Amino acid sequence: MAQKRTAPPPVVSVPRRNRRAWGTRGHLVAAGLLTLAFVSPVYLTIVNAFKTQAQIVRDPAAPPAPPTTHNLTDALARTDRIVQIGLTNSAVTVVASVLLIIPLGAALSFWLSRRSARLRGIVLAGFAAGLMIPPAVLLLPTIRILTFLHLDHTYPGLVLANVGGGYLSFAVFVYSGFLRSIPGEIIEAATVDGAGTLRIWRTIVMPLLRPATATVAIFLSLWIWNDFMNPQFILGPLHGQTITTGLYLSVGQFSINYAQLFGVMFLAAVIPVAGYLALQKQFIAGLTSGATK
Amino acid sequence: MTTRVRPRRGDPALGSIALVALGLYVLFIVVPVIMSAWKSLTNENPLLARADFVGFSNYTEMAHDSTLAGSLGFTLLLAGSVTIATNAVGIGFAMLLNKTSLSFRMMRTVAFLPQVLSGVIVGYVWRYILARDGILDNVLVSLGVIDRPITWLGSPHLAVLSVGLVATWGLTGFTTVVHLAALQSIPVELYQAAMVDGAGRWQRFRRITFPMLAPGTTISVTISLITMLKLYDIIAVLTAGGPANSTQSTALYIIQLAFTDDRYGYASAVAMLLLVVSIAIALSVTALLRRREVDL
Repeated sequence: MAQKRTAPPPVVSVPRRNRRAWGTRGHLVAAGLLTLAFVSPVYLTIVNAFKTQAQIVRDPAAPPAPPTTHNLTDALARTDRIVQIGLTNSAVTVVASVLLIIPLGAALSFWLSRRSARLRGIVLAGFAAGLMIPPAVLLLPTIRILTFLHLDHTYPGLVLANVGGGYLSFAVFVYSGFLRSIPGEIIEAATVDGAGTLRIWRTIVMPLLRPATATVAIFLSLWIWNDFMNPQFILGPLHGQTITTGLYLSVGQFSINYAQLFGVMFLAAVIPVAGYLALQKQFIAGLTSGATK
Repeated sequence: MTTRVRPRRGDPALGSIALVALGLYVLFIVVPVIMSAWKSLTNENPLLARADFVGFSNYTEMAHDSTLAGSLGFTLLLAGSVTIATNAVGIGFAMLLNKTSLSFRMMRTVAFLPQVLSGVIVGYVWRYILARDGILDNVLVSLGVIDRPITWLGSPHLAVLSVGLVATWGLTGFTTVVHLAALQSIPVELYQAAMVDGAGRWQRFRRITFPMLAPGTTISVTISLITMLKLYDIIAVLTAGGPANSTQSTALYIIQLAFTDDRYGYASAVAMLLLVVSIAIALSVTALLRRREVDL
């Protein structure tokens, strides 16, 4: 008589329902604790901005009691106005760079998508190299080139260097990836109708590429805002400040006035953090879709 | 007015914009590399108004430069260990946070938060945390792990460890998100089948999760490596390369040579070396990882 084969019964030492509940709750607690621990430096950045120096030293981890906005107002009231200047210059640099990179990157990607696969491969490989090259390697010659263009140590020079560098590579990769998913028939149809390619690009392709544009805009804005090396060396400490170089300048190497430090840091970080929290879905979506490079 | 049907390959307007983009890229990436190569064969020094062709003497000097050797060693050690660490933690974190409930969604949101901070801010916050008698010391002492505060940034070996720790922390948000996305693409049926066959948790990870994560891991590892090889902000703010150049990465060394020592020629030579090393590592690791990816 043939015996039916069944899977061996699972060995449980605890009643199944309890075990599952404990496992889930344990999982939640573990995940929660680990996440909190992981994020504690960010918590510190935010919390310490609202404590006095004495409070920070005495009770580093405790929430501010009572919270004070002195650090922030002091930072904003500085005579060198470095926070205001830094924030403004960062904003201008980011907006100008991103407004240039997006059309340039999108147009190049669309143009590439209509060329032979071989040319596309060569150009994309060239752009990949741009992502792999350490910026420190390019700094000196870049400054030399900008000097030649009479743009050294100027904001337009900084923007130009931003546009021509690794940031453009990122845009080209994202746009090229998205373009692969646009059916060629749409573009063929428009071409047959007699529309010029530029018009096709503007009226048909760009709207279809909106998620790509969102991804590019979000990440480039974040990275250019947080960029330290380019403003520090291309703009130069004597000729202007973004919020990152301004922070670096205001702290100096050995200062330990934590209250002041955290005040300025909070003002520097609040925009990216707020932007991220408001746009988190787009951040994560952009990363995961970009992961299918 | 006749509408001209433009031939498919004639895109003059689009082509010109594309050409501007390409031109800018060539100007700011390709040309600088060539200039750097040329400069590396000179002894250019702006302060002394010098720029003579010296052939390969910069490169022979590099062969005897112990600071360079030290910086390369540190850079490679940092890149390798942090890449492994941040991806291991990222995979673990992703598996931990891979549930759909609201609390887990909030945790995932929060886990990515360190990524949006500037390297300068990350450096300063951790300098505060790692200060002698700072928060980390207090926590470790009160937990009984150590009995006296440690100067994390004060001694060469500890500083190297600290930089690695901070860099790992800085990258983990990214590796976690990439692996979370990859995790969600693994068919649940594979796990169900495995559990019916009696596979344990570790086996399920080793035979299903880890291999199926390969495409995500490839991207995550490649970008981690590249990021670590070019890292500057965090190190500059955290330790400024010290103590005693123990945490001076090659990128930092190049900046020092160029902007502090004013040795443009020699800095360019070191830069060429870093360029070649970075591209070689990035390409070979990517190729190796691509081969791992499972064909579905």
